[in-house]
Amino acid sequence: MYLTFWGVRGSYPVPGAATVRYGGHTSCVELRSDRGKCLVIDAGTGLRGLGKKLAQEFRKPDGATYNLILSHVHWDHIQGLPFFEPAYIGDTKIVVHAPRAAAKELRQVIGGITRHEFFPVDLDAVPADFEFHEVVPGSAFEIDEFTVLPIGLNHPFGAVGYRVDADGSSMAYVSDTAPFDRMLHKQHFTAGIEEPSDEDREILKTMRANLVESLREVDTVIYDTHFTSEEYEQFPHWGHSTPEHALQICQEAGVRQLVLYHHAPAHDDDMMDRIAEKFGLLGKEANVVVCVAKEKMTLTMGEVTNPGIVA
Amino acid sequence: MKVRFWGVRGSCATPGGRYLRYGGNTTAIEVRAASGHRILIDLGTGVTELAKELMAAEFGQGRGELPVLLTHTHVDHIQGLPFFTPLFIRGNSIRIMGRELEGASLKEVLQDQLNGHYSPLYGLENLAAGLEVQTLRAGSSWPAEGFEVKTQLAPHGSTSVVACRITADGKSVVIMTDVEHAPEGISSELTELARDCDLLVHDAMFSDSEYTLRAGWGHSSISSAIAAAHAVGAKRLALFHHSPDSSDDRLDMLVQDAAEASSVPLFAAQEGHDVTV
Ligand SMILES: [Zn+2]
Ligand SMILES: [Zn+2]
Ligand SMILES: [Zn+2]
Repeated sequence: MYLTFWGVRGSYPVPGAATVRYGGHTSCVELRSDRGKCLVIDAGTGLRGLGKKLAQEFRKPDGATYNLILSHVHWDHIQGLPFFEPAYIGDTKIVVHAPRAAAKELRQVIGGITRHEFFPVDLDAVPADFEFHEVVPGSAFEIDEFTVLPIGLNHPFGAVGYRVDADGSSMAYVSDTAPFDRMLHKQHFTAGIEEPSDEDREILKTMRANLVESLREVDTVIYDTHFTSEEYEQFPHWGHSTPEHALQICQEAGVRQLVLYHHAPAHDDDMMDRIAEKFGLLGKEANVVVCVAKEKMTLTMGEVTNPGIVA
Repeated sequence: MKVRFWGVRGSCATPGGRYLRYGGNTTAIEVRAASGHRILIDLGTGVTELAKELMAAEFGQGRGELPVLLTHTHVDHIQGLPFFTPLFIRGNSIRIMGRELEGASLKEVLQDQLNGHYSPLYGLENLAAGLEVQTLRAGSSWPAEGFEVKTQLAPHGSTSVVACRITADGKSVVIMTDVEHAPEGISSELTELARDCDLLVHDAMFSDSEYTLRAGWGHSSISSAIAAAHAVGAKRLALFHHSPDSSDDRLDMLVQDAAEASSVPLFAAQEGHDVTV
């Protein structure tokens, strides 16, 4: 199994000279099995580039099916969807797996970003067929050779992470999430930290334990590390973690490699270099390999035999 | 009068090394009068850069005032709104003006952009600054202190956008983005709006060959931008709303060819550049 980053940024895309090396597109990861089956994780602006690549790849005459698993539907994780080229090719099926997070209908919420006031082409009007599947934390499902386990996370309105097993190896995507100590994110606006009730604390404890259990011995974990610890002190209610928190979780779970991800828009390339260096060293002490996600970077989980492309 | 392009890209932002000179942020244009008044046109990702400048001045202390004219609500023209930091400072007064819509109100559409599914802001009411959303009739003059702002509806595929003429210091800039004129050319109403302007900022998303495949999509070819500039007697033309597929090198080539074909002096709008009108 191997993966390629198409978008590593959080919140909004950041063009310009300061993000050329690490990349400015929002969340999107291409996951491939050894024989080339593709699973897309999140549909931020990075999805446009991936879609161009997929559209160029060989397609069987009876059309292709693309599977997308979404962590949640904040703009930075779905705004690439209207620019996904396969959506404009007939005989194509696009299956979107996402947490419902109290939405009445997934199609209505995700399709809502193409209401005519936002985008000229409605999701229902594109040549490809869209199918929506609700994922539920704790209920694993199969897509091709991938076994996908959704994991509940702590983020405004709700989000899920995913553990994916295939080809005898594993990876996990843990974004977006706040740490599990200060507050439990619910489905309303918070202008500042909201003291957790005793019940909230119990939920947070269970959520954290469940995350660590789900990540047990995973090869590579991609983790929301939007904030430095100083920034987190200022914005603990925004729903994002720090590299310190991520490293702690990965160390407890016995993860081999942690990839820092969902970089804050203000973190320029030089700052990401410093973060990479600092946490590379701290990772060594914790016995976890730490690296920083970069656009177009490819990582291999386990031994990839005969990497190929299957449509 | 000065015009600053904070975002010149259409459809979606284009990070990366191939877009550094013209810029990758989606549409945002600031117009400043000698009196110090400013007006902002559109809220694409370019406003996140403008926000840094505003926050270093009176907007950082909650004493800023800013009128914003929205040409329309396609995402590339509003996606910077939730990240426009002056909106998070109590005391700032920000007024969004847009045209009346059919079916939903402008406020409802912006409210939906910030709904809890899509945004941790959960709605416009949670922006600390005062945000006023004002719906006006295109075809009339819109209020913005220090400027005269005339508007007109312009065709954009199956919908319409607001084109505007902003006048101050005896000079006029006309902004006509996301437009596709009828095959016979720019309408008489839009010609009237833009007549003899000092600078015409015009949609030029497609090269002429791309346009043949995308007629009806609601955007202009470079040639139709030139034809519009010529028809209205514009003194200068800024090609705007660049395609996300146009890298710096490609735009250089397109602009060079366009300049040779045009009787109106032209340039391609560049992010971060001030144009004195
Ligand atoms: Zn995010
Ligand atoms: Zn989020
Ligand atoms: Zn546009």
